[in-house]
Amino acid sequence: MALPLPPGLTPPEIAFICEMELVTIIPRQKLEGLKLLGAPLKPLNPPQRASIPLWLALLLKRQRRANIVPPPWLSPISLQAILDHETEQEDAFSPPPRLPPSSSGNEAPFSPPFLQSSTANAPPDALPYHWLELGEMLLEAAADDFEEPDNVRKLMRGLREVRMAKLRQGVNVLDAGGGVKMNGVGAMELGEARSFITGVVDGLRKISASREQQRKDRAREERENGYSGSADYDDDEMDME
Amino acid sequence: MDDIDDILAEIAVDSIPQETRDLQELTRCWVAERVAPELLPWPEEVVERVLERIRRQIELVEDQTGDMDPKTGFRLIVVQTELERFKFLVRSFLRARLRKIDAHPLHILNQHKDSLEISRPLLSASEHQYLTTHQSLLATHYNSSFLSQFPASLQRLDDTTGGISMVDKPDEDAAIFVRCLRDVGEILIDGTETRIDMKRGDVWVVRWSAVKQWVEVGDLEVI
Repeated sequence: MALPLPPGLTPPEIAFICEMELVTIIPRQKLEGLKLLGAPLKPLNPPQRASIPLWLALLLKRQRRANIVPPPWLSPISLQAILDHETEQEDAFSPPPRLPPSSSGNEAPFSPPFLQSSTANAPPDALPYHWLELGEMLLEAAADDFEEPDNVRKLMRGLREVRMAKLRQGVNVLDAGGGVKMNGVGAMELGEARSFITGVVDGLRKISASREQQRKDRAREERENGYSGSADYDDDEMDME
Repeated sequence: MDDIDDILAEIAVDSIPQETRDLQELTRCWVAERVAPELLPWPEEVVERVLERIRRQIELVEDQTGDMDPKTGFRLIVVQTELERFKFLVRSFLRARLRKIDAHPLHILNQHKDSLEISRPLLSASEHQYLTTHQSLLATHYNSSFLSQFPASLQRLDDTTGGISMVDKPDEDAAIFVRCLRDVGEILIDGTETRIDMKRGDVWVVRWSAVKQWVEVGDLEVI
């Protein structure tokens, strides 16, 4: 019964998480409110817009009971702007959407896919965490709800290529301690690159394990002897290439 | 303009129902369990709440399946689709934990004993039962098939003589991806000179051992 999969999420699992994202729909049929397990579903009254999870939106769409409103960032104008930004900024991904203010209480803070970054009210100028999967799923299931689906498809492909190139370039800065910042990375991109990146970091760590052990020992000795000589450490920890 | 947005967003956050919070928490636990090298403490409360809701939802489906009205039919399809999603989530979560329990049984048993002292059990009651029963079966089998013919000093399964422990454990320094949910500040990675400053919203590739404590209190999220 134990799961036979290696650590890390598989693409279907990433898509499963992405299907929890809320999207905006325009219902074509009435549907009474439902007590669902994740959140109560409010009654759907056409033509009032409603925000529902993607899995339900796809189900309603397939049965022609609703139309999906693509999120603002999935319009050709926004994608073109983001693509331009990605091409100009060579060493970082375009910034993720602005976070909501941190809640003051002790409640766990929200993160994707619960941030409402793909409803019709989402910010138009940033790619959310699940941009690739969500865009692909909407283009596949609801291409007729887009104004220019082919254009959107083309821009998505462009974005994907630019960003994958950045991800590959980023390998140069990996080192044994980890500590690499990757703000703005997407879920599916991370899923693709995960085993490679963690493999490189783990491999480098094993190569420099003895050096690290020396450093730890030296630090402990210094602590015991009670003097701080840490200022004149040699900073050559990355000279293994 | 921003102020109004912030206020509105805060109201929206406060009005989010407990069900959604539980779904988010369970999803987070599942992802963490799928990715992190070590077993994480058993999130008893959220699992109990979710299982109770699943139980009630199944009863509802059983009550209503007899209804022949086509309208209820579609409602039931929606309910059942969601039910299946929840069942998958719970099942995959438990199986990911089982995988770790099977891989490092003795190490996890020791960790579990330590965790009982700080009353944050690592294993659920049934996981603990599974682990101990499985181990005693294995031990009996090894004993009857070959161990009993070894010299007494070589019969132990958790020998630590010679400086090497027989008890296998996961690679606690494995690299993982984390997202920062609350400002954490500077983290020093043990054994290196690397210091990283974690701010809310950041995504980092970092060693599990360096960030584990913040993941457990919920300041960081494994992705």
